[in-house]
Amino acid sequence: MSRSPYLQGATINPAEDFRRMRRIVAEDLDWTLVIVPCLSKLCLQSFIRNFEEKPIFEELSPTQRDFVQEGLSTSLPLNLTANLISDGVFWKRCCEERWDLCDVSHYGHSWKRMFFERHMENIIELFIPYSTEEKTVLEMVPLCKNYVKRLNISQLLPPIREPEGEEEDELGLDSPYQNENEGQSMDHFNFKILLSKLTNLEELHLVYKVNQCGMNFEWQMFEMTDKDCKSLASALKSCKTLKILRLHESHIEDKKCLLLVKHLLDHPSLRELDFSHNLIGDKGARAVAKLLNKSQLETLNLYDNDIRDHGAKALAHALAKNPTLQSLNLRLNRVGDEGGQAIANALLNNKTLSHLHLGANKVTEPTVITLAKVIAQNNTLKSINISCNCLGEDGGKALEEAMSYNTSITECDVCLTGMGEQSVSFINQAVWTNKKNAI
Amino acid sequence: MEEFGKDPEEAPGPENQQERSSLQSGEADEEVHEDVNEEPHNQQPEDKKVEESEKMVLSQRILTLQRELPEQIRNIQTAADAKESMRRTEQEKACRLRLELLENDVKSSQEKFGEIIGEWSTANQKITPQELQELLNNQQKLSSALLDDKKRVINELQQELKVGDDRYVKDLRKHAEELGLMMERVEDQIKTLKMAYREELAHIQRINQQESEVLLTTDKAEWEQRLKALWDKELDRLMQRQEKVEEYNEKVEDVVLETRDQFNDKQLGHNEKLMAMVRERKQLEAASMSTQRILTVIPKPDGPDNLIQRKLRLVRKEMLNLKAQYSSQQKCITQMKRQLTDRRNRIVQQHGHTQKKIQHFAVADVKKFEQMWLMIEDEVKQLVERVLVLDSIIYKQHLGLAWERPHMAFMGRSGLIQPQKQTQSPTHQAVTQVIRTQDLQGSQRMTDASVGPMLKTDAESVTTEVHKAESEGGAEVEERKLSNEALKTVMELLCDELGFLFEEKFLSQLAPLEEEEQAVMKLSSLFSAFGISKREVPRLAQVLLKHKNQKRLQTEDVCVETGNSSDKAEDAGASCMSHVTSEHMDLNHLLPALKSFLEQHMRSREVPASQNLSFQCEAVRDTSEDQAYWESMSNVISEDKVKVWEAAESKIKQYHAELTEISELITETLSLEQQNAELRVLLQQYLQSIVFTDLESS
Repeated sequence: MSRSPYLQGATINPAEDFRRMRRIVAEDLDWTLVIVPCLSKLCLQSFIRNFEEKPIFEELSPTQRDFVQEGLSTSLPLNLTANLISDGVFWKRCCEERWDLCDVSHYGHSWKRMFFERHMENIIELFIPYSTEEKTVLEMVPLCKNYVKRLNISQLLPPIREPEGEEEDELGLDSPYQNENEGQSMDHFNFKILLSKLTNLEELHLVYKVNQCGMNFEWQMFEMTDKDCKSLASALKSCKTLKILRLHESHIEDKKCLLLVKHLLDHPSLRELDFSHNLIGDKGARAVAKLLNKSQLETLNLYDNDIRDHGAKALAHALAKNPTLQSLNLRLNRVGDEGGQAIANALLNNKTLSHLHLGANKVTEPTVITLAKVIAQNNTLKSINISCNCLGEDGGKALEEAMSYNTSITECDVCLTGMGEQSVSFINQAVWTNKKNAI
Repeated sequence: MEEFGKDPEEAPGPENQQERSSLQSGEADEEVHEDVNEEPHNQQPEDKKVEESEKMVLSQRILTLQRELPEQIRNIQTAADAKESMRRTEQEKACRLRLELLENDVKSSQEKFGEIIGEWSTANQKITPQELQELLNNQQKLSSALLDDKKRVINELQQELKVGDDRYVKDLRKHAEELGLMMERVEDQIKTLKMAYREELAHIQRINQQESEVLLTTDKAEWEQRLKALWDKELDRLMQRQEKVEEYNEKVEDVVLETRDQFNDKQLGHNEKLMAMVRERKQLEAASMSTQRILTVIPKPDGPDNLIQRKLRLVRKEMLNLKAQYSSQQKCITQMKRQLTDRRNRIVQQHGHTQKKIQHFAVADVKKFEQMWLMIEDEVKQLVERVLVLDSIIYKQHLGLAWERPHMAFMGRSGLIQPQKQTQSPTHQAVTQVIRTQDLQGSQRMTDASVGPMLKTDAESVTTEVHKAESEGGAEVEERKLSNEALKTVMELLCDELGFLFEEKFLSQLAPLEEEEQAVMKLSSLFSAFGISKREVPRLAQVLLKHKNQKRLQTEDVCVETGNSSDKAEDAGASCMSHVTSEHMDLNHLLPALKSFLEQHMRSREVPASQNLSFQCEAVRDTSEDQAYWESMSNVISEDKVKVWEAAESKIKQYHAELTEISELITETLSLEQQNAELRVLLQQYLQSIVFTDLESS
């Protein structure tokens, strides 16, 4: 009864009702005065918003810089941020936005370095000769030259071939002229324009191959052309800070190896050379041997090549006189007994080499016997690997005897050598004791 | 096909290795277990060594794990290497075989080709077509055979290629499998390593806990031991201390007792000594007393000189003391005197000032009074005149009666009512006059006093003259002389009569002086003693003289006064005697007169003399007469007249009221008249207008 007049009133006076409906509703229920940010924070936020127009960063105090780094958009142009914003949260955010896996410990714990190295790598890996302009790379150089120390390039794209070209290829497979032409057309990114400008570059890992080629597979995609080799060689010569060079799986033959080594002679800073998974033969090995004594190489890796006894002899000859080399890896080559013996004899005079890998090298008893002499006598050698060689029981015994005199070797791999179980366990025991003593 | 056969041989390689590695790890575990088993044996003798060995075992285990686990991976790698090397050798072999085959093929095909070519040369020699046909057929056969050979070779190679492809695919698969295996192993390794590390961590924690517990327990034990030792030590020390305290307490008590005993003994000794000494002293005293007594009893043999001398000394001493006291007291007295005199002078000065003031005020009051009197009298007289005028008006105009001016004696008078005594006692007036003159001559008299001796000779005559003058009733010149002479006589009288007051010393001191000087000195000393100043001296004389006069008047006028009975008797007795004798005989009355004067004088000191005089004047005035005078003034209009006046007033008031009514009526009638006049004018106007309208209408 009491409601009905009210309802009637409500229907009669809609204006009044409307007025009653209008209430002040707090727009933000969580709003409190505590949450109101400081003026300084607001200022910093406005800095962040207008960073592109008016970058203010160096004038700020460290804590303010941190705040700005937290807030800056990662899509800002690099030419603005590269040399302005120091290593910190901003670059971390940039990295994590672009890549899923970010292990900063591999980059000297510098997010900025990580970002620029990976950015550069991406640019080079996606560089397509003749279609991508060189400018895109060169523009980046002034921005990242201070931060890039290592370039780990996992692919180098060949130029896009037009459909006509394919036909030509098919037609003129036999003609050498056509081949030459094709070689030219298959040239990859020219490092000559880049390496001399990266003043802080210390490591260069190159692979002349294409990832995820799919059904477009061609052998040529996994090769380094002569022109590539020339340009790379001269680029390497111009890069005076390089310490480590790795050229894997790039189809380097003796000829290319000669060319590269010729340019690497007397390099001021090169310490490590890695030509794993190539096709270097005796000539190339000879060239590398020549390089050994004309540089400060400490590590030489020729894993999975085609070096035979002649090349091994050349290397052994160089090794006998070399005072710098510490690690030599000739795994998966065809050194044979002659080469192995030569190397073992060279080690009798060498006092610097500490790591030797002669795994899978077709080495047999005589080499092991000479090696046993070396092991018994040499105290610098720390690890030796002669696995996958047919050494036989006698070789095992000789080695066993030699190990009983040795105190320096902490690693010795003698798997799959056909040795007797006893000698293997004895060798392991000896290595074990050496290791314990070393610790 | 050989390759197929070889591959399975190689395949179990990793597995074998795995087994081997597992064996190795098992061995390591066994070793560990052995070590663990060995532990309990060693535990009993040396705990620390066991812990160390445990640690060593653990670290060794970790090391072995670290060594063994990657070996498995390495084994796979090496196996892959071995396979690769094997493959290479096989490839090389295959290549060589292929090359050989190709070479053989090339050789055979070249031979065959040569045959065919050779056949072609023979073909020229053949002429017959059949032969040619045959040759051709033969050639064809040969070439087809050659082609077949080639094709066979090609087929073989193609087959090889296929096989190689298959093998490659297989290799790839195997690689993939190996990779998977490797990854698995790596994961397993990671797991095992984690486990191992966790175990190690737990172990280390346990060991650490144990160690810390052991350390704690040992430390606690040590702590408790040490605490116990400390407490024991403390207890021992406390016990020792208590014992010592007890000892010391005993010692202290002993010492106290000893000292008390000693003290008591000493006190007793001292007391005894004291008693002895007292006894001795008493004895000595007794002896001295006896000796004294002996001495007193027998002074002479002892020597009187001594005694006298002693006494003399004592007396002198006393004298000196007394002198000192005297001098000090004198000093005090002089000081007091000075102070007192100062105070007195001050008071006297103040007194003079106040007297002057009072005099001044009295004169002013008198003046004012007179002025007031006169003024009020004038006013009253005016009022009386007005009343009289009104009265006369009322009588003449209102009542129509004849009016007589009532007799008013006071109207003629003005000023203060003078006392009637003025006429009654002319002698008194004269006396006052004398007093006034004497006041004027105060200074003169002082000179006279100093030149007293010169006038002294005339004293007798003066007194007579005074008498004459008084009897005659006042000649001023004579009076002055008289006063001077009388003064002299009075002074002399005083000197003589009051001689008993002077001390002998004073008199003896005055003795060498002449009589006149003596008198002067005496008088001065007397006055100073009485406290009478030199100015008051004449008054004294006058009083004395008056005293005499009064007696004489009493006798002469026979008026009854309350004088002294002795005076009356004397007067009565000596009334007939001559004036001179009577004067001289008055000496007996001088003393009482002087006395009275002094009393008066003492009183008059408080009240100044002049005021005294004015008081006398006021006192003389008779206020009753004043009242009568003023009453006579008020009684100018008698009670009957007042009644008449009141009646007249009421009548006049009535008349006045009527008059006012009339005046009001007059104004009313005036206004009515005016209204009447106006109405008349209006009526006239109206009438005129009606006439005009009538005329017009008509």
